[in-house]
This record gives sequence, C-alpha cells and structure tokens, in this order.
Amino acid sequence: MSGSNAALGNEALDLDIFFEALDKALQLGSTYAEVRYHSHVGEGVLLINDNLAGGDINVEAGVAVRVVYKGALGFASTDKLDRNSVIKTVERAVASARAISHKTKDAISLSEEKLGRVSYSLKPREKFSDLSIEDKANILKEYSKNVTSEKIKIASKTFRYSDDVEEKIIVTSDGGYIESAIPRVSVFYNIAASSGDRRANKWGHIAGSGGLEVLKLQDLAESLSSDVHSLEVNLVDSEPPVKGVMDVILSPEIVGLALHESIGHPSEADRVLGREAAQAGLSYREWISGRIGSEHVTVADDPTIPNSYGYYLFDDEAVPARERILIKEGILHELLHSRITAARMGVSSNGAARAMNHRSEPIVRMANTYLKPGDMSLEELVEDVKEGVYIKTYMEWNIDEYRLVSRYVGLEAYRIRNGRLESPVRDVVLQIPTADFYTKIDGVGKDLSLYAGICGKGEPPQPLPVWMGGPHVRLREVRVG
Amino acid sequence: MKSNVGELEDLATQIIDALRVKVDEAAVKISRTDTVMIKAARGKLTVGQSFEDYEVNLYLAKDRKILVTSFGASSRSQILEKAVRMVDSLEPSPFYAELPTPTGKSGEVLDKRIVDSFEGGDYSILAQVLSPDEWGDLSGMAEMAVQTEALLLSNGTLLTSARTWFDGYARIFKGEVSGQWSWVSTRLDLDLSSQALEKARELAEICASLPKEYPPTGPSRLLLSPMVSGNLLEIVASSTLASSVLLGFSMFRQDEIGEKVAGDALTIRSTPLDEELPGYSTYDDEGIQTRNIDVIKDGILKTFLHNTKTARIMKAETTGNAGWVFPKLFNLEILTGSMRDGELMDALEDGVYLTNNWYTRLQNYLEGRFSTVLRDAVIHVSGGKPKSCIPGYKLRLEGSLRGLIAGVVEAGMTQNNIMWWEVGTPTKLPHLLIVARDDISLRKASDNHS
Repeated sequence: MSGSNAALGNEALDLDIFFEALDKALQLGSTYAEVRYHSHVGEGVLLINDNLAGGDINVEAGVAVRVVYKGALGFASTDKLDRNSVIKTVERAVASARAISHKTKDAISLSEEKLGRVSYSLKPREKFSDLSIEDKANILKEYSKNVTSEKIKIASKTFRYSDDVEEKIIVTSDGGYIESAIPRVSVFYNIAASSGDRRANKWGHIAGSGGLEVLKLQDLAESLSSDVHSLEVNLVDSEPPVKGVMDVILSPEIVGLALHESIGHPSEADRVLGREAAQAGLSYREWISGRIGSEHVTVADDPTIPNSYGYYLFDDEAVPARERILIKEGILHELLHSRITAARMGVSSNGAARAMNHRSEPIVRMANTYLKPGDMSLEELVEDVKEGVYIKTYMEWNIDEYRLVSRYVGLEAYRIRNGRLESPVRDVVLQIPTADFYTKIDGVGKDLSLYAGICGKGEPPQPLPVWMGGPHVRLREVRVG
Repeated sequence: MKSNVGELEDLATQIIDALRVKVDEAAVKISRTDTVMIKAARGKLTVGQSFEDYEVNLYLAKDRKILVTSFGASSRSQILEKAVRMVDSLEPSPFYAELPTPTGKSGEVLDKRIVDSFEGGDYSILAQVLSPDEWGDLSGMAEMAVQTEALLLSNGTLLTSARTWFDGYARIFKGEVSGQWSWVSTRLDLDLSSQALEKARELAEICASLPKEYPPTGPSRLLLSPMVSGNLLEIVASSTLASSVLLGFSMFRQDEIGEKVAGDALTIRSTPLDEELPGYSTYDDEGIQTRNIDVIKDGILKTFLHNTKTARIMKAETTGNAGWVFPKLFNLEILTGSMRDGELMDALEDGVYLTNNWYTRLQNYLEGRFSTVLRDAVIHVSGGKPKSCIPGYKLRLEGSLRGLIAGVVEAGMTQNNIMWWEVGTPTKLPHLLIVARDDISLRKASDNHS
C-alpha cells in the first residue's frame, strides 16, 4: 500500500519491502514466493445475564511469506513490519523449506492462473466506528432483555459481540497483486435453561460481512426467539425420542450443517490428497465419484455472496473467486482447489485457498456452502408424509474422518403423522450415511436460509468464518434413533 | 534469552508507565514465541513452518469497569489511547474484583538444545523425527518452540518466565487401519517422540494382524487410551472452571463441592507446576503463585478452578488459575493406578480398547450428554487378548460424560504426555478402565458398514 491499515490507523506500509522480499526469496533459490500482509482489527463486548462483563480490543497484524524451494514448501511469519524483519522472515521461510527439501518426494508446484491485480473492499452501511463500545453493548442488552420465558427458567444467558476488519495485501512472484478490506460482525450467544430436573442449553451464532446492518439482516431477534422456543419445547413439551424407519424433514439449519460436513469438507482437494490425514481426516472422494444424491441435490460453495460470512473476491493466492458446484443434480462435481492441489491434479484452481491470519498458510477451505432451493413449501413437504419427524434445531453433531456417516441430534423436533405436524419429541437422533442422506432427498423447499459458522481445519488450527445453509428438505424412509 | 526477557520488560514498563495515571489498575503480559513446525502426510514431508510472534495482552480496570486487549508488535500507541478511552465508556462489571497482591515468583523451564536450535537456525531434527524413510505411511506434525514472557502489574510487580517445548503427533497407516499417538515435553526428548511413533506403528500393526470384525456394540467394558481420555477428560476438567459454571457450560453446575461425581480411581489434578509440560507457570495472570491442585480426587469434586473474580462471585478463594476475566487450565494430570499396561488388558477381560477419537460434541453441556467419533484402531478384547480390530471411524461412543467418569475403576501405572489436535491442554495421564454402564455405549456408525 502505499497502503495503510485504515482501521488500525497504522502508518503507511512501504510496499517496496514486499517486492524486495519476493526478490530475496528468488535470490535464495525459491522458484515461487508470495508475501502477504494480513491484519485483523476489532473490538468486542461480553454480556452476561444482561450485565456488561467487559470489553476488549483485538488487533493483530503481520507478514506471511510462503516459498517453494527445491520442490519443498516453506512458510514463515512475523508480526514485525519493518524491512529487516520481513527479509529475515523470507530467510526463515526458505530455511523451513530447506529443512524438508532433501526428503521431499513429490515436488510442489502451482497451477498457472490468470491472477488478480486489483484492490477491493466491502463498504459497510453502518460502520463499526460510528458506534461507541457502549452503544454496541446497549444493542446487545436490548436483545438480551428479550430472552425471557414463562415456561422455563433461564439459568444464564451469555452474549459475545465482536467486530473485525480484515485487511490483506498479497503479492506473488508470478504477478498476483491483491489488496482487500472486509469488515465482519458476529454475535455468539448461549442460553442455559431448566425445567424441574431437566436442563438444556442452546447456542447460536449470527454473523456476516458488512457493518452493523448484518445483525438486522440476519434477524438476531428472530433467532433468539426461535431458540428460546426450542428450549421450551425440549424441556417442557417434548415426549421421548422416536425410533424407527420413517420420513424426515430437516430445517435449513441442519441441512446447512450437513452439507458443510458431508459434502464441503470431503470436497477439499488437499483432504482428498491426504494432507489432513493426521488432523481433520481424509475424504470419501478419494474413491467415490459419480452419483451421490438424487436429482434434487445441487450443492454450491460460493465466496462471492454479498454480506456472507465467508465473503471474498480473490483468494489468498490471488486467484479470482467464483461459485463452485460440488454436486450437480446428484452427481459429485468439482473439488475445492488451491493452486497447489490444482497443479497436483492437473486442473485449474477455483480460488479456495484461504488463510486465517498472517501466521497461517493458505489452505483449501470452504466459504459459503448451500443447497440450491427447489420449488416446494414446508407445508407441501409435510403434507404427504404418513409417518415421520421434523427436526428443526440441533445441539450435537459429528462426522467420521472420511465423512461417510454423520450424526445430528435434535433439540426441537416434531412427529409428523398423516401430513400434519404433531407433538414435539426431544433428542431425536439422525445418524445417517452420506450417500443415504442425499439419495433419499425427494423434496427440496423453495426457501433458503444461511447460517454462520466457524470452520476448523489446519495445523496450527485455522478457524475461519463461513456460511452454510439451504432450504427445508425431505428424506424418505431413513432410520431414526 | 536473557536479553529477550529484558526487551519484554522494557516494553511492559513503557506500557504500564503510559497507563498508570489514567486507570485504576493495569496489567500487561508480553510474550515472544518462536516456533518451528514440520508436517507430514501419507509418507511425505509436506511443509516446514516458522512463526515469530510478539503478543501483548493488556488488562485495564477503572471504576470497576474492565477492558482486555491483545495486539501484536505494531501499533502500540494507538491501541493504548483507544483502550483508555474505551474503558471509560464501559459500565462497572459484575465480575470486577481488585487485582490481588501478587504472590507468584518468576520461573523458567528451558532446554538449551531447543534454544540452540533456534539460535543456529537448524530445524532438521524435526524432519528426522518424522522421517517417512523410517516410518513409512506416516502423517503428523512435530514442532518445537521457545517462549519468553513478562507480566507487569501496575503495583510494580514484575514476573518473568521462559519455557521451551517439543511436541507432536503421528498417525501411521498399515493399509486401511492406523494407529496414532502424541507426545509433549518441555525438553527435546527424542525418546518420547520415538516412543510415540513406535506406539502408533504398534497399534497399526496389531490392528492389521487381527480379523476385521466389529466389537460388541451397546454398553461394554472399555479401556481408554491416554489419547481418548485426554480428549474427554479435558472437557470434564473445563467443566470445573468456575466460568463454565457461571456461563452455563458446566456439567457440574448443580453439584456441591465434596460430592461424589466419579469413580474412586479417578483423580484429576490441575498441574501448572509440572515442569515436564509446557503449560508450566509459577504465576497466573493476576500474579498469584500457582499450585498443583486436585480438582476431582478419588472421585470426589474437590474444587472449582478460580481467579479472583469468579472466586468473589462464588464465595471461594482463587486457586491460582487466573486469566484476567475467566480462569484457565495450564496443565492437567490424571493420577496413576497400580496396573501395568499388559495387566490392564487382562483386567479388561471382555471389552473394547479405544485408542483414539475426535469430534466430541455435547448435546447438553449441563448434563454432559455427548457423542464422539472413534479413530484409528478399535480393538475387541476377549479373555484379556486382542480378538479383532476395526478402524475407529466405523464406531461412535455415546452417552453421558458423568456416567463415563463414574465408571472409572482402574488407572494404569504408566503416564503418557499427550497434546494434539483434540487435546489442547498438555495432559499427563495413564490408560483408564471403565466398567460397562447403561449410560455409555458403543454404536456402529452405520448398519451399512461391512
């Protein structure tokens, strides 16, 4: 930049250092180098039981250097921005690659791409800086005060507000140059409740890119009201869980989670290549291809959705972002690629390389993963179910490392009989193979809701903002319980 | 390293001096950490990484209002000005308690070989640890780090620490099956890493040699490896943090101190003074001297873990586990029993040996209901002998964490130092034997798995 970190008020960074660093990396024998300035600047408040427990400011900024040296990948970071520190970081990146280069069996290369040379930013409608921390706390208080119930005892409620402006400058030795600034806002909450001897809690997360307007767009008030209702239903009204083979209707919240876990993660090409074998696991897409779902199932991952939590227009290798179709009408389609995985598989990158901060290497990640809507209303999905269950909200979920079988346990769920929603049932367990999940979808709603999440992957771990969602769906004859 | 500590002290002093007259209380903690990490995947070294981190953490209190900030090496002056402005605009916190009179002392646990590796810029030892030539189809990570830290309180108390650590984990495949193990130490203990790799290979080989048959599902006697117990008991230990109780994330929210919550064989100890583990610290963030303390002893809940703030609210004493707002874990230890590893297999008689797990999620934090997906070798034991083995991803363990700890009947006599992706707190622990209970079950991932 002649750039500056506007949110931080940093003095101008000298861009010449970045190009000098690239030159240094090449002089030291690297065949590829990239230098990334990466900062986060934000603040937050913590509200506990309607009381402001405290505030916080979070700032991190630094430089990441990644090189390919004698076919080996090296990465180094520093949070010092002066010339000497950046040049030393280049030397450490090369030294890190050198430490493994003699044992590297497959030389790393990057796919040839038309790299971006642009500067872009997302302009918030309601800037974080327009409100004081007190104002932000007061917004939370208004939401928190409305978390009440006459049916259950609210034992505790915790709200965590945070905002963040993420800025990057990415320069690559093969011509990429990206400057970006993306603001994000997030509210995470947990409500603990009881009724008699029974206790339960529900957490929720509302977040997106943009300014404070995101909280209204995402309708935090409705989310809280719905979650209190879920707790009331679970703790007071529900009957014991149902078991057996039956039709299942899932809400967009659960559909989004399912897609993220059982389609998105296994579609990460680095996972398919085994690079996450000791951490986040492997992928069934190593050996399964072709049809995995009914013709109703088309799944996309799209970083370019306005106001989305996983929003970006160029990835951290300077590749333009675009929608990726992971399943097309039931057929497994694209993988998510970085330039490194694309080169290994002989394809082009689709712009999925993301890094959490300056101390993270770019790896293959999802952005906003969702099921394309169909043409049915929820009422139409329900009306020809003879015996089934509708699962609206969940608490527990997990999936095996190959992403073959996932599990979701409902917090709020209802029996369906003869086309009508009936009595609520608690803790319904849906443990289902991925292929069953998608092949048994015979109805897809025309609604579409997207939910915020923090996706985990990498070592050191890189939690990243994503959205996930879809419409309501109906699965025929699956085992419940 | 001494010059490095001095640099941190100087910076901390400048920050406190700049704040002293503007707030009632201030504390600053500055750390410098150098880390190198080598990763391997499916028999190949994949990346070498090197991180240089300066982190400044700041606590301000004014008129009972609380603000914490974290920032890196740059932009100090802007942050300080903003922090002072911001704390003014907050409200008195119900969590506020005056910073206590510090009782802690400075301390360090440094391995010169790790320090020398950084000064020499030679990280090749990590590539040797994870050598695919020696270990075959290996995936994993090895890292070492050196960290110096200075904590300065506005009353003038300065505490410093320095630590090194060497940790990692390895997963070794033999065809479809695998074994995984981890290690962590404050020393460059190459025996520890090679034992972990040997253990991973041994589990993979044992599993590969056995028939691929499911163990019985439903309630079963269980032998939990330190990898599995490390993951599940970290959640249990986190439930004893007073903040978890106050915020509604604790399965002990309804329990009183002194209640029986686990089997007699289970003792969970918070061990900040364990010099072998990198959470080692002689003081907490409030400057209070840390101490090793039994959280659950012989199955009885002995204390919640506190800082001064949660202690005030819950009418208790700080346990020296302070973070500035909420208490935290440093290290954990699960005390040993009397059985050798081989004897534990005999004691299991007919049951299932779980060697690794991941993706533990709670349906209900307040009741501790959970499920976790198994990983790597799951060995069915019959008559004290391995009978069959199946890859863990085909099974889940589900039920009640309270039930699980109530079912601990025996602990092994050998401890392992565990820290990896699914065990964030450095933990020293043995194998644990769990009796069959109705509230803990093994479940097939799918009836469709062969």
